[in-house]
Parts: sequence; C-alpha cells; structure tokens
Amino acid sequence: MKCEEFESTILDLDRAGRVSELEKSAAQAHLNSCGRCASLQESWQGARGELAFFAQETQMARAPARVEMRLRQEFRLQRRTTAPRKIAGVTVWALAAAAAVVAVISWMNWKNEHVSIARRDAPRAGAVAQPSVQENAAGKVKVAPYPLADASDESNALLADNELGGFTVLPGAGPLDTDEGSILRVQMQRGTLSAYGLPVNEERAAEWIQVDLLVGDDGIPQAVRLPN
Amino acid sequence: MRNAETEADDVLLRRVARGDEESFAVLYRRYQAAMYRFALRMTGHPWAAEEIVQEVFMTLIGTPKKFDATRGTLGGFLYGITRNKVLKHLERSPREISLEEKAEDGSGAGIVLQDGVTPATIAETAERRRRVRAAVLDLPADFREAVILCDLEEMSYEDAARVAECPIGTIRSRLHRGRVLLMAQLEILRESPRRMSAAVSEGSVR
Repeated sequence: MKCEEFESTILDLDRAGRVSELEKSAAQAHLNSCGRCASLQESWQGARGELAFFAQETQMARAPARVEMRLRQEFRLQRRTTAPRKIAGVTVWALAAAAAVVAVISWMNWKNEHVSIARRDAPRAGAVAQPSVQENAAGKVKVAPYPLADASDESNALLADNELGGFTVLPGAGPLDTDEGSILRVQMQRGTLSAYGLPVNEERAAEWIQVDLLVGDDGIPQAVRLPN
Repeated sequence: MRNAETEADDVLLRRVARGDEESFAVLYRRYQAAMYRFALRMTGHPWAAEEIVQEVFMTLIGTPKKFDATRGTLGGFLYGITRNKVLKHLERSPREISLEEKAEDGSGAGIVLQDGVTPATIAETAERRRRVRAAVLDLPADFREAVILCDLEEMSYEDAARVAECPIGTIRSRLHRGRVLLMAQLEILRESPRRMSAAVSEGSVR
C-alpha cells in the first residue's frame, strides 16, 4: 500500500463494513513501515479523541422547552386561522350554489309563466272572440254565446272593427237580442274586465282602455268589445 | 387506539396536515434533538440553533405536505431544511465563536460536569472545550458539515451526501480535507504529508 492509498483508507478505518480485512492488514503493514503515515494515524487518533469530546459535550443538547411551546402555539394559531378560512370558503361556495339554484328556478318559473301566459292568451283570443256578435241582415246586433266561427277569422277578433260587430258575450249572459240594448263607450282599466268574468293579462291589467259595453234593458252589461 | 409515539412518520405527518397537534408534538420530540445538535455544532450558538430548529418546524407546520415519503426519510428531509437554514445563518452572520454556553435563563453554563472535579480540571476542560469548538467552527462550512455529519452524527456517506445534496465522493473528499484542517487547527498534525499540506493550504485560503 502506498501513502496516498493509506490516506484514503484512513478515512474509513473506523467505519464498519467500509474497509475489508485485507485492506486493514495492508494498512497496518504500511503503518509499520512508514513513519510519516504512522504519525498521521497518531494525529488522527488525537483529533478523533477531541472530536469525541466535542460530540459528547453536545450529545445531550436539546432545544429548550420554550421552542416546543412556541411551536404548539403557532400550530394552534394556524389551525384557528385555517379552520375559519375553510369554513368561510365552504360557506361562500354553498351560498354561490344556492344562488345559482335560485336563479335557475326563478328563470324556469319565469319561462313557464311566459309559456303559460302565451298559451292562455292564444286560446283566449280565439275563445273570447268566438262568441262574437254577428251582424244580421237587418243591421242589428246579434250576440251568440257560443263560438260561431274559427278563431283565426279576423272578424271574430276581440278587437271589434266596427260599431255593431265584435261584441263578446260576458260569461253568464244568455243569448242576446240587441234590439232593446244600447251601447255605452266607457274607459276602464283592463283589469276591470276580470270583474265581468273575462280573462285578463295580469301584466297589462293597469292599462286604461276604451270599451264598448252592450247594456241590456235591465242596465246590466251583456257583452263587451274593444273598439280599438 | 394506537400509540402515537410508535406511529410512522408519514402517518403522523398526515395527521399533522389534518391539524392534530399531538402528532406534531410527537414528531417534534422525535427529531428536535438531532436538528438542534446539528445546528448547534454548525453555528456554535445555542440561540442560533434554537432559532433554526424553530424555523425548521415552522416550515413543517406550514407545509406538511411538502414532504414526500417516496424521496427519503422525514429525518433526511428535516436535516435538509436545517442545513439550508444553517447556511443562511452562516452567510449573514460574521464568524464568531461562542465561548460559553448559557442555560435557558442565560444565567450560567449549560453543560454540567458530572464528576467531582477540581477548579484546575474545570479550567482545563473549559480550555479544551473552547479549543475543540473553535477548531470545528473555524472549518469552512462545507468541510465542517462533512465532519459533523460523518464523524459527530456518525451518518453513512450516503445519508450525509443526501443531506449535503452532493455526491458521495464529494462528501468523502470534504471529510478528508476537513479532518486534516481540524488536525492543523488543533495543532496535533505532527507530520504534513504532501496531500495533507495541500489540503491545509487550500482550506486556509478560504
């Protein structure tokens, strides 16, 4: 073994399993023959003793108890701040989800309402217009309580287009001969028509409209029409 | 119910992540002494070691999920954090040698001699302590780290290399140079072989 090899081996001499028995005996043989390496070995043994002293001196060193106390405090503090943060996060998401659900439900209701209004309005136009007043040959107004024509017929529209035609029989009124009746033009809110049993679009209930009422001998309106 | 003291590190760490303070305390007690010793031996200052240990475990509290069990042990992970904190400390602090250890209240010596001793032996021991500590602390940080990890902590080269984040060969080389410098510092290097002299002169240039 050469001096360089010995210097390398000396690093591991005291490490279990690092140096084989063969290397150890070679190193020992080199030590016996080389005074310089023997001196180095001796120096290292001395340094090892000092290091062992240093190691022993600090072996029982521990972090003071106050460090654990501080860390525990910090741990609790972080838990206290992260837990409410998590709860707040969950709450925000829950509220957002609830808001989304409410929005969807509202939209669906609104849409359904519109559809139903449209459906209600469509047949109403026909149904209300159907029992229209028909003009007879004598130029008198004759009101029939039941549908007489197709709803698509323009002459049966709710809005009357002439003085004698276009009357809609009010619910509960019987077949009416207009010979004895008179026509009164009044202004009223559209919602008032509901008092006569007619379906009214709630959204337009506040509108003021002109209405022709066909009033019987007894002074009770029998039919109605919208002149314009 | 299983005893937390015997639980594996990763199990405890998962509990820490869920906010279990006792699991954290178990982990702390399991590793604080080794981290404190390493930091103390590297810095030479109990107050610095205390601060470093606190920072290391604060990191663990803050990011417990940062540890990946597939990449090594928790001990190695903590040693790595401690090492980084130590190096930062050494960078920003002038090289000082703490000559005296204080007790926690700062009142007296932290190390108590157990044998019945005379004032002369106390003085001799104190002088020896000062000399060794000064020699170790005077080593360049890389060499000091290798000596502390391999000779004082008695880590394997593999573990030491993992902590120092360098190849095993580098650790061996640093250890060799560190030892030579240490012997020179302790004035016990009786012969200076060629390679030794080179190591000493290289180390003293730093």
